[in-house]
Amino acid sequence: MAWEFAIPNLLARDANLDVSRAAVPPMDDEAFAGFYQRSARSLWAYLARTSGDPTLAEDLMQESYVRFLCATRREEGEVAARRYLFRIGTNLLRDHWRRPCTASIEEIPEGFFARSGGAAQADSQMMLGPAMAQMRPRDRQLLWLAHAEGYSHHEIAEVTGLGSASVRLLLFRARRKIARLLGEGKCGREL
Amino acid sequence: MRLSACPREKEVKDLVELGQWPQACVQELRAHVDGCRACGELALVTMAFQQARIEAAGAAKLGSPGLLWWRAQLRRRNAAVERIGRPILGAQIFALAVYLLLAVGFVAWQAQHGVAWLTWMEQLPQLAALHLGSLWPSVVSGSGWSSMVLSSAAATLALLGGVAVYLAAEKQ
Repeated sequence: MAWEFAIPNLLARDANLDVSRAAVPPMDDEAFAGFYQRSARSLWAYLARTSGDPTLAEDLMQESYVRFLCATRREEGEVAARRYLFRIGTNLLRDHWRRPCTASIEEIPEGFFARSGGAAQADSQMMLGPAMAQMRPRDRQLLWLAHAEGYSHHEIAEVTGLGSASVRLLLFRARRKIARLLGEGKCGREL
Repeated sequence: MRLSACPREKEVKDLVELGQWPQACVQELRAHVDGCRACGELALVTMAFQQARIEAAGAAKLGSPGLLWWRAQLRRRNAAVERIGRPILGAQIFALAVYLLLAVGFVAWQAQHGVAWLTWMEQLPQLAALHLGSLWPSVVSGSGWSSMVLSSAAATLALLGGVAVYLAAEKQ
């Protein structure tokens, strides 16, 4: 017997609760596959560039989608869903940074070093990578959301859980700092 | 620090995001960006991040959405099963607590009044030999501890019955 039939009352009660809170109905598998194709690359890029670790980004991306599917959302639409997904990813990344670091050098995949120091580095990574490495994790997140994803201050506030006014100030400082670092990097390569 | 935004920042940002900066930009705006620190920084940073986003998105190795969908379903199912199991576990703990309470009460009562049931055990073969039917009334009306024994037995039966019903339901 399927478990859904064994517990009809419990499921019915949960469904009623969701309706009373005006929650968005969960995505079916086809809708999710489409949403995944449209959003996964952006999310991976955000997690990989802000964490500096592509393997970690992959893990966090998968966990973000699983949590997204399990969660009860309040806002409908692709834009809101995307924002919610980035919020989950941001929180997971923050949890990861808060956790005490226990990884030894042997546990880090070799590909990570190859990617960060290899000769085939892309031009933008050569320019942006060293500058990003000097920024604080939160500033990296803010900068990426604002300038790579094009989110407004209000949207960044929703994703990160900060106040809009704080986002404005922090972003202003972070942008000024990274612009200086990028300028120095450019000058360094030209010399 | 002064947070003065240039009124033309949005214009510059839109052009960069559309990939039209600086080729498709009017000369006047380019001259403005050359002279405005805020717009110059904005153009530089946005261009770098847009380029990085394109490259990073291209390097992403995407897994199967079906696998993620299946994992989410499994997690939701486990959460539902855990929610169902919680009251059953509570009932079991409650039954066990009642049973233990009765047992402790019985032991305490025995400690206060002496271990009288040992003498009753000695008389049991004689009572049984006389008449089996005479055993019941003597137990019920005899002394206070007999009711305690009965209630303990009832609690045990209730507990075992509950477990049996639960196991039968689970099997179904």
